[in-house]
Amino acid sequence: MVNLNGKKLSVVSSLILACSAVFIGLSLFFPWWRLLLYAPQYPEGLNIIVYPNKLEGQIDIINGLNHYIGMANFDEKSFPELSYMSYLVGGLAVLTLLVGLLRRKSFLYMLIGLFLVGGLIGFFDLYHALHTFGTHLSLKAPIKIKPFVPPMVGENHFANFTTHSYLGKGAYFVVLAFILTLIPIWKDRK
Amino acid sequence: MKKWVPIATGLLAGFVAATISFADFSHSTKTAAIDSSTKSDAEKVYVPLGKKDDYYLFASGGHSGQLFVYGVPSMRQIRTVPIFSPDSATGYGYDKETKKMLGGYTWGDFHHPAISETNGDYNGKFLFATDVANSRAAVMDLKTFTTKDIIKVPNTSGPHCAAFVTQNTEYLFLPTRFSVPVGQKYEPLDNYSKKYRGVMSALTFDQKKEKLNIAYQVALPPWSYDLSDAGKKESGDWAVMSTYNTEEATTTMEINASQADRDYIVLFNWKELAKMVKEGKYEDVGGQKMIYPEKQKGGIYLVPVAKSPHGVDVTPDGKQFIASGKLAPSMTVFSFKKAFEAIKNKEFAGERNGIPVLQYKKVMEREVNPENALGPLHTQFDDKGMAYTTMFISSEIVKWNPKTGDVLDRVPVQYSPGHSVAAEGDTASPDGKYLIALNKLSKDTYLSVGPSHPESMQLIDISGKKMRVIDTVPANPEPHYAQMIKADKIHTINVYPKDPTNKDAVYKQSDTKIVRKGNEVHVYGIAMRSRFIFDSKAKRPDEINVNQGDHVFIHLTNIDFDEDITHGFAINQYDLDMEVQPGQTNTLEFTADKAGTFPLYCTNFCSALHQEMNGYFLVKPKQ
Ligand SMILES: [Cu+2]
Repeated sequence: MVNLNGKKLSVVSSLILACSAVFIGLSLFFPWWRLLLYAPQYPEGLNIIVYPNKLEGQIDIINGLNHYIGMANFDEKSFPELSYMSYLVGGLAVLTLLVGLLRRKSFLYMLIGLFLVGGLIGFFDLYHALHTFGTHLSLKAPIKIKPFVPPMVGENHFANFTTHSYLGKGAYFVVLAFILTLIPIWKDRK
Repeated sequence: MKKWVPIATGLLAGFVAATISFADFSHSTKTAAIDSSTKSDAEKVYVPLGKKDDYYLFASGGHSGQLFVYGVPSMRQIRTVPIFSPDSATGYGYDKETKKMLGGYTWGDFHHPAISETNGDYNGKFLFATDVANSRAAVMDLKTFTTKDIIKVPNTSGPHCAAFVTQNTEYLFLPTRFSVPVGQKYEPLDNYSKKYRGVMSALTFDQKKEKLNIAYQVALPPWSYDLSDAGKKESGDWAVMSTYNTEEATTTMEINASQADRDYIVLFNWKELAKMVKEGKYEDVGGQKMIYPEKQKGGIYLVPVAKSPHGVDVTPDGKQFIASGKLAPSMTVFSFKKAFEAIKNKEFAGERNGIPVLQYKKVMEREVNPENALGPLHTQFDDKGMAYTTMFISSEIVKWNPKTGDVLDRVPVQYSPGHSVAAEGDTASPDGKYLIALNKLSKDTYLSVGPSHPESMQLIDISGKKMRVIDTVPANPEPHYAQMIKADKIHTINVYPKDPTNKDAVYKQSDTKIVRKGNEVHVYGIAMRSRFIFDSKAKRPDEINVNQGDHVFIHLTNIDFDEDITHGFAINQYDLDMEVQPGQTNTLEFTADKAGTFPLYCTNFCSALHQEMNGYFLVKPKQ
């Protein structure tokens, strides 16, 4: 037993990992990212709300307006990620739970590694989408504006719009889940 | 011993927290007090940007055939809704559906709007209208402020005495101003008394299908029926209407219909009439169920009243009805209770045209005759049950107490008010606050626009003891009556929801198409900011090609599901125009009888590139 302590996680850590798994699972039901657009004619704001598996908000209206600046249509078809993201996230939740059950520290390290890699890919994917949409504007657009890349988090201006990007509850749950996976390392340190 | 300390502290903390989170620290109670006492007239009617009016005013547009919608207290006109007349601004009467609804008529004369009711209060769902010119009734949906159905009513001509609804909108009644022979057949005026009838129609309304229907008719004597009101509460099964020309004059009515000292208030029980119809006590007249009161007795009585009354209005508590003299300078208050008793005891003073006449003295409660107040026309009520009567001839509003007959206040108006309207002032629970005098003459009030002057509406603050005119605004011809409803009772939609059952609707650009069936051409197109697409696969998606003589259907859906983005559609030289509101599908149906090249374009300014929103309608000449 004592011997194994170095490699095995405590029961509390195991519970923490279970919690982490729950948060990952929970994140599937909340938006991960949100873009809010304001214009003089839209003081109430228009939303793009991104879930792991769907888009919500006034997408049709935004598409209708975007064609003026030659931006491509975005819909669920233009984001193939939406069709499999929820499986990846669900898989991660299951893995986290498994690591909690198996209580092997080495598995935990791998899990954290997976988290980091996944997170990086996720951020890059979002940046890539923002970049693609903001910079590949049709040359035949009736209104010509300078290509732009809205920030992942923060404020931006283009044409008559001011945009605010936020991380959604789902993203915060994942960050929380990630932090929870780090706690056992500190807690069960030698 | 000291247990109460933590309990008390806890309670206190809870209270403080609750106060901080829930208490409204705005000065709402204070402003209410300021409202009536220290606010200037201008401040009372000023509604700043970002705020909205407290009431909707629905004013009939008279012979414009339209409804005028105002906000109160700002008195800003918000909308004109076409009902009985075509309106190119909204394409009303041009698109297939509304064209069919108008039935070929090019105008109407809309006098008295009636909002649908629940328990004697406006429920804000529908508004009914009647057309004195062409004997029609219409219903407008207050979700969209558009006319949904128009029905032509036979056997009757000129439902001025309409419309009024019973307290739960069971029926919409259309008594008539003009008498005509049943079926409106040719009949010399010498036979007026024998062959003419003042037919009243009882309509029902199917809320789900938004369709009007004639339930039955009553062949009342050949008199003129002027105004009416439904009973409330204890008198809820009853209704009253005023008559003139009980002389049955057929010419120079001005003189000949003003001879008899007394005319009548017709008092009828609509539940009894419905029961009679159910029991088959009616005659079939051209498919209508017609009750002849002299044959199918019961449910209808006459109450003598000072000659040629105009308005007859039921008090909010449903206990009294007030007839306004018009030619006699007094208001007469009658008691429903007394009338019911007289009917029960069969205390009749004979019959007139086969209808029992009640004894005036037995039903009358009091005559109210304010000094030199002339031409009382119509009465509204406030939240305390006080009555406000318009005086057409002496140009004033008189406030008085129907329970005591005391005259409480008088205010001059400019000039000659017909009806007035108080906030929910003809319901079972009026709001008080505002009254609007609907004046027929404005003369010196506004910048001159030539010999014909606008009508005039004057907003009167009735919240205090003294009435006070606080605003005066012009109106187009011509509001006869209006109803004022609390704004929060109206629940509009901003965008038409998608209707998957509508075969004419197209919601995706790629689904647009032009289909030919023989000489019929069906265009299934869309409008969006800022283009038309009739066939997304065509070389020019915004071009329509037909042959001369083709029967063309243009089905157009506005796929901008966005608040306030309305598109129009017009074809030059073809006298065609329609509107598609956000999410709406509309159809133009016409024959392409003119060959040539005709630009088509969006008429309703929709976007920065609205000017570019056009295409071509090409009609190939016959070989
Ligand atoms: Cu347009």
